[in-house]
Amino acid sequence: MSANLTINLKRASKVYNEGEIIAGIVVVESSGDLRHEGLTLVMEGFVNLQLSTKNVGIFEAFSNSIKPINLITTSMELVPPGKIPSGITEIPFEVPLRARQAVSPGYPGLLETYHGVFVNVMYILKCNMKRSFLNKPLNASCQFFVQYKQQEPAPLKPVRCEITPSTIRASGSASGSGRTVMPQFQIYAEIDTTVCPLDKPLTGKIRVDECSVPIKSIELQLVRVETCGCAEGYSRDATEIQNIQIGDGDVCRGRDVPLYMVLPRLFTCPTTTTVNFKIEFELNIAVIFEDDYLVTENFPILLLRSR
Amino acid sequence: MMPVYYQWSSLKKQNCNKQDYPRFEVSSHPLKSNVAIVNDNATARKSLMDSLSKWSSAFEEVDPLLRFEQMNMEDDLSHIEVIDKVSNYSKTWNLKRSAILSKYTTGEKLTIISSFLPGGEKISSFSALIRQVSNLNEKVKHRLEQLDDFDEGSVRKTMGLSQQEFVVKINMLNDEIKKAWDSEQRVKAFKIGIQCSKLLSDVTVMQFYPSKFVLITDILDTFGNLVFDRLKLKSYGTAGVNNIQDIDPAQVPESAKETCQNWLFKMASIRELLPRLYMEMSLLKCYLFISKEEIKPAVARLTKMIRGIGNPLVAAYLRVYLCNVASKILGQDSEDIYYNNLKEFLDDYQQIFHQMMRKKYEAQLLTMDKYLNLYVPAVDWLMYCTLNDSSKCKQTLLEELLAQCEQIENNELLLCCVVSAFDSSNIIKKSSCILEMVENDVDRMVLINEVLSSLGEHLCTADNYRHQSAETLIQTFWKIASSMQSALHFLQVLEPWLQFACTHLSTQHVNIILRGTIRYMVKCGRPADDFSGNFQFVLKRMLKSIPDVEELFLMDAFMPLVELVQTSNARTMMAKTVLSMFFSRYDSNCIEDHIIISSLMRLCTILHDSINAVTVEDESKLYADLINKFIQAVSYQDDFEQQLNFYVESRSAFIKLDAVLVTLVHAVNALSLRGAGGAGGAGAASGGWLQRACAAYCFVTVPSLHCAITKLHLYLLSGQVALLNNCIGQAEANFKALIGLIPDIPDYILEDGQKKPTHTKVAGILSDFLSTMLILPDNLDSNCKAYILSGLIKTIERIHWKKTEPLYYSTLLRILDLLCEMTQEKYAYHLDSVLSNDVLYGSETEFVEIIENYATNICQELLVVLKMLGDVKETKKQYNLALELFWRVIRRGDLLQGPMLSLAANLWMLSQKLQDSNNKLAKTMLLALQNDSKPASRRLLQKLEESSKAS
Repeated sequence: MSANLTINLKRASKVYNEGEIIAGIVVVESSGDLRHEGLTLVMEGFVNLQLSTKNVGIFEAFSNSIKPINLITTSMELVPPGKIPSGITEIPFEVPLRARQAVSPGYPGLLETYHGVFVNVMYILKCNMKRSFLNKPLNASCQFFVQYKQQEPAPLKPVRCEITPSTIRASGSASGSGRTVMPQFQIYAEIDTTVCPLDKPLTGKIRVDECSVPIKSIELQLVRVETCGCAEGYSRDATEIQNIQIGDGDVCRGRDVPLYMVLPRLFTCPTTTTVNFKIEFELNIAVIFEDDYLVTENFPILLLRSR
Repeated sequence: MMPVYYQWSSLKKQNCNKQDYPRFEVSSHPLKSNVAIVNDNATARKSLMDSLSKWSSAFEEVDPLLRFEQMNMEDDLSHIEVIDKVSNYSKTWNLKRSAILSKYTTGEKLTIISSFLPGGEKISSFSALIRQVSNLNEKVKHRLEQLDDFDEGSVRKTMGLSQQEFVVKINMLNDEIKKAWDSEQRVKAFKIGIQCSKLLSDVTVMQFYPSKFVLITDILDTFGNLVFDRLKLKSYGTAGVNNIQDIDPAQVPESAKETCQNWLFKMASIRELLPRLYMEMSLLKCYLFISKEEIKPAVARLTKMIRGIGNPLVAAYLRVYLCNVASKILGQDSEDIYYNNLKEFLDDYQQIFHQMMRKKYEAQLLTMDKYLNLYVPAVDWLMYCTLNDSSKCKQTLLEELLAQCEQIENNELLLCCVVSAFDSSNIIKKSSCILEMVENDVDRMVLINEVLSSLGEHLCTADNYRHQSAETLIQTFWKIASSMQSALHFLQVLEPWLQFACTHLSTQHVNIILRGTIRYMVKCGRPADDFSGNFQFVLKRMLKSIPDVEELFLMDAFMPLVELVQTSNARTMMAKTVLSMFFSRYDSNCIEDHIIISSLMRLCTILHDSINAVTVEDESKLYADLINKFIQAVSYQDDFEQQLNFYVESRSAFIKLDAVLVTLVHAVNALSLRGAGGAGGAGAASGGWLQRACAAYCFVTVPSLHCAITKLHLYLLSGQVALLNNCIGQAEANFKALIGLIPDIPDYILEDGQKKPTHTKVAGILSDFLSTMLILPDNLDSNCKAYILSGLIKTIERIHWKKTEPLYYSTLLRILDLLCEMTQEKYAYHLDSVLSNDVLYGSETEFVEIIENYATNICQELLVVLKMLGDVKETKKQYNLALELFWRVIRRGDLLQGPMLSLAANLWMLSQKLQDSNNKLAKTMLLALQNDSKPASRRLLQKLEESSKAS
């Protein structure tokens, strides 16, 4: 006799806002009558923090103190102990998604689902069927995603910049300091807004007005900056989320090339600051010359869940 | 047993007996059904001939490849007209894509990079681009980031592929996508799509790029369709929707939308620009499931994003793909897309001439014009579709684009595409402006040949161009063309312009152009033979378009131009082209102009002289055909001497072609008769020299032929003509020659590669000959009576024909007929001018005796044949022969003579013995005998009845 347990959510996207009701069914598939000691459903949400390896040495003392932060836990009994007939049995359920009312200090409320490198925000539905002494309990789990409600759109905050050899030196962000002769170039870039709604693509334009050497590639890099820690110390790490090319080869001079990036789901979330961690985002525009010499310009951006 | 010897005596008829041949009633006319069959054959043969000549037309080209090129050009021209106003771009594109595939080919080695193909060598580091940000945790490698980083080890580079191998691999990838999709490996299919579009960033073998584009976009379409079809299935089940416009996002279930979104997110995270753009385009129609409103902005965005592609060639084709994909979705709404992309292309136009690109194509040993030609299909297509858009005024657009041409540097590519894409009427209006533009920039411009030849083609379609400006146009054209570097280009350009000149300018002008052409070709430093194929095209166009084809030969530069090529092969081709075009257009009956005649003579001589041992039979047939047309067309009207001289000259010029000699003999015979009768007193006045000369001509010409039957026929014909002209000596000579030829006639001759029996033909000729012999008077100088006939009889005796052969005994029967007729006092027919033997001998006894002696011998021989037929059991033949002979005896023989009577009786009995008398033929014969009131016939009848009773 074999039995199988699955959770199916009604909503195909599995995306829910706070206050909504998560509806779905638990499907029990069994080739014979199934005795059990009760079927329970648990909803859990938590933040996993991890210190980056390069910081471990320094913060060893408190590294253990970083424990998952619980965001929500709800548990309910779906079916009291009894017997489930053979075949497919569908058990509907509804769980309200609501943040805890009694707030402990530092409790951030329901955060958006986010998959990062050092910070992960996850929500899981777990279904558990306890069975008699000799039988293993049956388990099933299902991730779902939490998103904030859409806020009113924030006012646009466009930024413009010019990238020239002099701006590179001034900001000191040029990585190729060993380079003796800087090529002559004048690049103009514009980002339509640094306050970006997550559902909209990131847009802007870049124009190469002048460049004495051929360009190999122009790229747009989305970077997450994750900060974990507490008063004693913290780690701050910037990692790439995605890097997409917007110019391939020596593009035409004096032409506006659109910047366009769709923000990836799950790997981005609204910019978040809590007591224990921060999730921030930055955008890099990188111009790579034929000899792999790289010029970048960095823009901190604010991600929002808004229309 | 029959008596061995019967003395033949012919019946001397007083008046013509009407019932010379046995007659019987038949239900239908024996020729009637035959006529129908002949008709059938005629049509069948005609269509067969048509198709044959269509096939053989291939022989008329020097270079089949050039011919293909020509065909392509014709196709291009024709299909542009056909699909005018048709908004179904994809159909037209299909035509275009096959043209691209056949045009852009390469012999270079190609490279393919893929992880889904067997073979090839591993590439260690596939993505060489730098990840700038540090501390990337190696452990955490996300699916997202892996998307376009294939399993490093699996990516293989296959180099040194030939074009065919490349195509095979591409097709394998196409199959691989479908296989992966069907086996639920959808991400794998997606990855193959990405890899394929990456191949389009490789421009190492540029001249193959347009074809590569076509091949790879096919794969992308496959992928796009797979995704689209699955979404359709998820949304509408197996019922589906008929029209993609019917897809309503409101009806699409959430799960399908979610799937669609997932594909789009996946696509949006492709790291490299080119594959991302290609993949988005291939998935563009999936937006239909989410929101229709998003499509147009997406297309507009993609249009702009293509600016990021630095390589102008890659970008141009990317635009073509975008437009094609978008127009398929948007249909009528897509009008602006082409125009916008064309504008974008023009904004980036100078990238084409970027130093980097120059370095690249020069490294691949491409010339500037070849390089620019790679863009032509893409720009042409954008331009064509923009024009197809009804909302834009073509004239304004043309003016706009021409203004742009004037402003920008390196305008040739744009100009070339503008000229070829726009319709003739608009281009013609602007022709002088365009020409001026070319003239101003002539030193630098490449693709001049393309611009000029399409401009020329446009002008050729003009019906009535104002004369004055046509002249100035051509002058300007000539200035440009004569300074062109490449003779090949020069000839290409000349082709349409010469047609324009021919139709719009006077002969003098055309002649000046031809002279200039000769001068150019002489100066260009390369032998004209290198361009003989193009030369032929030029000549063809001219021959086709000149209003009066005869005028060509009146230009003093035409023949030198034709003979500019030096090698015999090229000359032959040239002559063949000119002649066949000339005769296909030439519509009057005769050519009288001496200059034309001598020019054509020269061309025919070139054709003839090219024939050698290795010439294909079909080829020489074609030549003979052309030369025959020439000979038949030449006429000197009443100047017979000149006409004959022409034939004499032709004979010596075309001696290698039997077919031509035959035509000449016929022509001379016709001339001979024309001289005698047609011209009234002229023939008489000439004192018969013409007739004698003609007869002599024929007599001398015929022996050089190869085919015995033809010779036989021509001897007979020439003899008859001589006889008609009262040239007895010449006629006799011909007939003697004919008789002398009889022993040499083979039983079979080769005709069209098949062995065919000769005896029907020989029988026909011989019986014609025998009829002629009746009126042929004896040569009184020789003392032999019926001199020629006796010669024939002797010859027949001598040659040992097989006696049971029908040809043999039916000839004997006919000789018997002739002999009987010859004994008459007045022959059945005469020639007006000729005194036949009846008048000559006045039925003198000696002559009649000799003739009857022959008849006796012949009769004797026939009896021998009868016996032999019996011996070899050829009963039917024997029966027929017996009846035939019987008939001759009772009709032509004098039954009052005993031997004739008993011969008749014996023959009848023999026939009765072989078959009963119910045979129709036998019955009618008997009936004729019964109706005859002559006492001799009565006696015979009586005798026949007696003998039948006795038996």
